[in-house]
Amino acid sequence: MSDLVILWIEDEPDVRSALVRDLEPLAQIARIEETDSAEDARAAVEELERNREEIALILADHRLPGDSGVDLLVELAERPVAARAKRALVTGQAGHADTIRAINEGNLDFYVAKPWEPDHLRSAVRALLTDWVIEQRGNPLPYLQQLDGPRLLDAFGRRTSDF
Amino acid sequence: MGAGGHSRHTCLASATLTRETAAAMTASLSTRSLIGLIGAPIAFLAPLLLDVPGLDEPGERALAIMLLAVVLWVTEVVPLHATAAVIIIGQITMISDAALVDLPADFEPAPFADYYQALADPVLMLFLGGFFLADGAAKFSLDRALAGTLLRPFGTRPAGVFLGIMLITAVLSMFMSNTAVAAMMVAIVLAVTADLDATDPRRIGLALSIPVAANVGGMGTPVGTPPNAIALSGLLDIGEAITFIGWMIRVFPFMLLVLAFGWLVITQLYRGNNSPISVAIDTAFDRSGHAKIFYVTFAATVLLWLTEPLHGVSSTIIGFVPVVVLLSTGVFTADDLRNVRWNVLWLIAGGIALGKGVGGTGLDEWLVGLVAWQVLPLVLLLVIMTLVAISLSSVISNTATANLLIPIGLSLATSGAIEASPVLVGLVIATACSLAMVLPVSTPPNAIAYATGMLPTGKLAVMGLLIGGAGLLVFGLLAPWVWQTLGLVP
Repeated sequence: MSDLVILWIEDEPDVRSALVRDLEPLAQIARIEETDSAEDARAAVEELERNREEIALILADHRLPGDSGVDLLVELAERPVAARAKRALVTGQAGHADTIRAINEGNLDFYVAKPWEPDHLRSAVRALLTDWVIEQRGNPLPYLQQLDGPRLLDAFGRRTSDF
Repeated sequence: MGAGGHSRHTCLASATLTRETAAAMTASLSTRSLIGLIGAPIAFLAPLLLDVPGLDEPGERALAIMLLAVVLWVTEVVPLHATAAVIIIGQITMISDAALVDLPADFEPAPFADYYQALADPVLMLFLGGFFLADGAAKFSLDRALAGTLLRPFGTRPAGVFLGIMLITAVLSMFMSNTAVAAMMVAIVLAVTADLDATDPRRIGLALSIPVAANVGGMGTPVGTPPNAIALSGLLDIGEAITFIGWMIRVFPFMLLVLAFGWLVITQLYRGNNSPISVAIDTAFDRSGHAKIFYVTFAATVLLWLTEPLHGVSSTIIGFVPVVVLLSTGVFTADDLRNVRWNVLWLIAGGIALGKGVGGTGLDEWLVGLVAWQVLPLVLLLVIMTLVAISLSSVISNTATANLLIPIGLSLATSGAIEASPVLVGLVIATACSLAMVLPVSTPPNAIAYATGMLPTGKLAVMGLLIGGAGLLVFGLLAPWVWQTLGLVP
C-alpha cells in the first residue's frame, strides 16, 4: 500500500515495457500501472479511486488511440486521485500548441523526449517522485534509499515536529 | 499489495527488508494501539472504582490520571501532546477547585488555573527561546554553514572525520532539535557514502556516529532536549533552580565522556582500511540583514544564558529575549511563530502538570510508601533509576519517559525516603532519558540513520547497548559521585 503509484499511458507494447524495464531500479518503492489507451487509463484511475490510492506520477504518451495524451493530462488534472500527481509527457510528437496546453492546463511538470536515455529518464522520475513524497507524504524516510535522499532529509529536518 | 488479477497491473515491488520491517512496525503499532484503547479506561477507572489502601480520594483521582497517562504515553494510542491535554483537563475536572465531583471537605484543592499554568511554565519559555534559536539556525542555514566550517579542521582520516561529525552533531543538538540535526548531518554524509563501496565499514561508522551524537548531545544544555525541561521545572517548583551554566557544568563533561567512548568504539570497529574520506559541505553563511540580526541575537542569548551567575537574570526570562527581538524586528514572521513546535511544548507541559498533580494530592507520599526504599543503598537506587529510564525510553518517547519518571523520582527525593537530593535524582533521570538508542524506533535520529540502509539493525543494537552501558556507569555512578564530592548537588 505504501507503494508510489505511477500511471503509464502508452499504446505501443514495446515502448511500454521498455519504460518498465528502465524504471526497474525503483521497483522497491514504486508500482507502475500500465495502460494502453486513454480509456484504459480512466478505468485504472477509477480502480485506484476505489482502492483509495493516490497517483504520484503520470507518464503519458501524446499520440494515443482516440485521444491525445495532452487532453488526458488536462482531464486528469480535475480528478482528485490524480490532481496532486506529478505529470510528464513522454513523446516525440507533441506539437507546439499541444505542449503549451499541457503546461498551462495540464500542469505539466516534465517533458521526456522519445527515444529517452534510460539514465535521464530514471533521474527525472526520481526527482519527480521525490517532489511528490516531500509534498504529499508526512514521513519520507521509507524512500531515502531509492529517491533523492539528501533532498528528502532536508525537507524532513525542516518540518519535523520532534525536538 | 494492490488489486490482484488485473492484467495491466504490473507489481514490480518485491518486499525488501526495509518494507518488511516497516510493515511489521505498523502491525505491532496497531497491536499497541489496541492495548492502549482497552488499557486506558481500565487504568483510569481502577483507582476510582476500587479502594486503594492508604490513598485518600484526591490521591486516587490523581492516580487514575497518572495511570491513564502511563497507558497513553506508552501505547501512543493518541498523540503524545494530546495526552498532555488529557492530563490537564483531567486534573481540572477531578482534583482542582473546579472538580465536577466534590472532593472531601478536608482537602484543599489547587485553583484550576494552576493546572492551565503548566502550559506557560517558565521552563517552557526557556524552551520557546531555544526553539526560536533552533528555528532561526535552520531558517538561515546557520547549522549547515557551521557544520561545514567546523568540520574542515578534522581532516580526512576516518578517526578524525568521525570525531568531527560527532562533535558537531552533539554541539548542534545542544541547541537544536536532535532530529533536525541528525537529518541534516545524514544528508551531508549521504553525499560521501554514495562513493564508498557497499561493504565499506566506514559507511556504518558514518551512519552510526550521527544518531549516537545527536541523542547524547541533547543532554548538554537545558534547552537541548525536552527531558531536561521536565527536570528543571520539577526542581524549580521545589525551590531548586539550576542555572543554564550550572546544568552545563554538571552534565556537559560527562556527556563528552560518553561521546568519547562512542567515538572510540566506532573508530575501532569501523575505520576500515583507514583510507581518507572527504566530506565537503558548501559553507556559505547567509549575509542578509535578517540573518545578521539573528546571529547577534543568537550569540547574545547564549552569552546571557551562560553568564547568569554574573547578572542574576533567570535563564527562563532570558529565553524570552530572542522571542521578543526576532518577532519585533520581523526576522521571524507570524508564519515562523505558528511553526514553533507547540506540540513539544505541550508535551512538556503535560509532564509538568502531572508533577503538580502528584505533589498536590498526597499521591507522592503514597508512591514513596509503596517500597521500603530505605533498605536500598543509594548506589543501587541510582543504577535502578538510570536503568529504568534507559529501558523505558528505548521503547517510548524520551520526553514521555521523563514526564512519567521525574515526578516520581523527585517525590522520593523530597520526601527523604531516599538519601539522594532532588537535584541529583532529577539530573540522573533526565540524562538517562537521552541514553537509549538500541532500536531504530528508540529515537528519531536512530530512525533516520536506519532508513539510509547503511546501518544493519544488529550493529545499531550493539552500539546502543554499549552506549547505554557506558551511560549507566557514567551517569548512574560516576557523575553522582563527582557531583557529591565537588558539592555540585546538595
